[in-house]
Amino acid sequence: MTGTESPTLRAAVPPTGAAGAEESWAPPVWVPTRALGRTVLLTGLLLVLGVALGRVDLVLLAAPFAIGAAVGLRRMPRSAPELTISAEEEHIVEGGEVEAGLTVANPDVINYDLVVVRTRTSPWLKLEDADRPHAITVAPDGWTAVDLSGRATRWGRQSVGPAAARVAACGGLLACRPVVIPAKGVRVYPETEPFAATEAMPAAAGLVGNHRSRRPGEGGELAGVRPFAPGDRLRRIDWRVSLRTRDLHVASTLSDRDAEVLLLLDVLGEAGESGGVKGKASVLDTTVRAAAAIAEHYLQRGDRVSLAEYGGSARRLRGATGRRQYLTVLEWLLDVRAERGDRAPAEHVFAAHNVSSDALVVVLTPLVDPRAADMLAGLVQSGRFTVAVDTLPEGAAPPQRGPWTPLATRLWRMERENVLGRLREHGVPVVEWAGAGSLDLVLRDVSRLASAPRGR
Amino acid sequence: MAGGITQRAGRARTAVARATILPLLVRAAIALVFFGALTVAWPVSLVISRYLAILAVVAVYPAFAPRGRGTTFAVLVVVGGWIADTTYYDARVALWRVLAIATLTYVGHTLAALAAVLPYDAMVNVDVLTSWLVRAALVVLGSAVLTVIVLGLTSELAGGAFLVATLVGLAAAVGATMVLARMLRRT
Repeated sequence: MTGTESPTLRAAVPPTGAAGAEESWAPPVWVPTRALGRTVLLTGLLLVLGVALGRVDLVLLAAPFAIGAAVGLRRMPRSAPELTISAEEEHIVEGGEVEAGLTVANPDVINYDLVVVRTRTSPWLKLEDADRPHAITVAPDGWTAVDLSGRATRWGRQSVGPAAARVAACGGLLACRPVVIPAKGVRVYPETEPFAATEAMPAAAGLVGNHRSRRPGEGGELAGVRPFAPGDRLRRIDWRVSLRTRDLHVASTLSDRDAEVLLLLDVLGEAGESGGVKGKASVLDTTVRAAAAIAEHYLQRGDRVSLAEYGGSARRLRGATGRRQYLTVLEWLLDVRAERGDRAPAEHVFAAHNVSSDALVVVLTPLVDPRAADMLAGLVQSGRFTVAVDTLPEGAAPPQRGPWTPLATRLWRMERENVLGRLREHGVPVVEWAGAGSLDLVLRDVSRLASAPRGR
Repeated sequence: MAGGITQRAGRARTAVARATILPLLVRAAIALVFFGALTVAWPVSLVISRYLAILAVVAVYPAFAPRGRGTTFAVLVVVGGWIADTTYYDARVALWRVLAIATLTYVGHTLAALAAVLPYDAMVNVDVLTSWLVRAALVVLGSAVLTVIVLGLTSELAGGAFLVATLVGLAAAVGATMVLARMLRRT
């Protein structure tokens, strides 16, 4: 390499001029339409024929085309239209009104003769005429909005868009390339079905809250009377008993405690057809709405609520209390999806040591997948207070594929009944979700079990 | 083959079910206007014969496919008929016919330009149609005035029609070239 001539080396940084030229190049925004081509062709042809044949009438036939082109093209558009999607960002609950719109702004100095705007929307957003293109005009330096109001019919992360606009200007002689903008998300929160569980929590564990705990401490619930001991407060002295027994006695109370509720959502599969907020509910519909209702109920009582998905992704929301946690829960529930593919659920996440021994575990499951039943049995065997909520919609059946389908469905149903029976034998109460009071009966049973000594 | 036909039929049914009134009216107007231009331009003897069906097909085609070459073809058929009538059939160049043909062909052309960018199922704001038609009307009015003046001049200068046509044609050609050159420079 040390020869007579130094080798030609390529510069590590390309010359600025070439780069600038490449960057500044972009396909033209405005392109001629077929109408412009037709205008030029007909004008030229008629003029040539007029001159060749010496016919003034042929020249006059070309006149409107020439005048039309001259009028249309006297001022040319330069910039692309600006399209924006506006969607309501407030708290929308399924079944509620959604305000969305498309706005086309014209930064140019000429009128947009025709703007065709169209958008896609999620199937669960029933927006007025959103499935049709809208044809509007936009004045120079102005804007025009297309209103797309309607209703959100199902929970989830819905979207308005992507939207596209195509503009024709200069009397249809020039058209702009379609301007496409990405979708805008609309969060639709699940409708919480009214739910009220009056029964006590099986095991209240925390330090604050309004459940009666099994531990003595400062609280309102009388636990008994016991002899005075150093450290007892004077106002706790029960004078009547002390006088009778001639020895100081204090009234002891049970402390008020909070509880931890773990909502376990089985997302191994989806079954049934969702009909939106007023229609039939699929497994995930029932799961999400029930989870929102149960979480709202316990969070209002000051308990800690945590959530987890039983599936391949094993999402988890750590426990907390209060209104902020309720909003977090709703947000978390928006991303609940049925598991696709055959990813096995991460068993270690749902192992007993990951679930607090005092927590009430509410498992929302359609009990279609045998792994869910195994998981439930495992939780109960490890001594967790577990309640299963059956989320399989009534009448859910696999699609008709042949003459044997009804028989196979019956067999499957019998097998499922068998699994439910075996779970009950293991001590897992299984209830169907039916709104208010769904869990009362089973919570009472679980409380009774919890009050018994745990000999394991 | 059968599958393709069924698919086409399905698409046509969807189109009919979804079509909205204003785009439909625009397309109907295209067919009507071109049919009018063809009947005015072509010799009467042909118009009242069974060849009228062919002319009707030529007029209706741009209404169904405004984005294609049907519109150019329809205008060329109109001009061809006009030249045939005035040369082969020796018809007189009447002012009303020139005015009618110029107006109808231009209106057909501009409506086809609108229909080409207007989806058949669009929700159309009436302003779009009004402003489009007003602009077309102004253009037609301007060219009608020009037609009346130029044809008047031609009859005044009886015998000098060839010269007038040459002059007007040259002036128009220069004007059109200038317009196109200006347009290209801007784009």
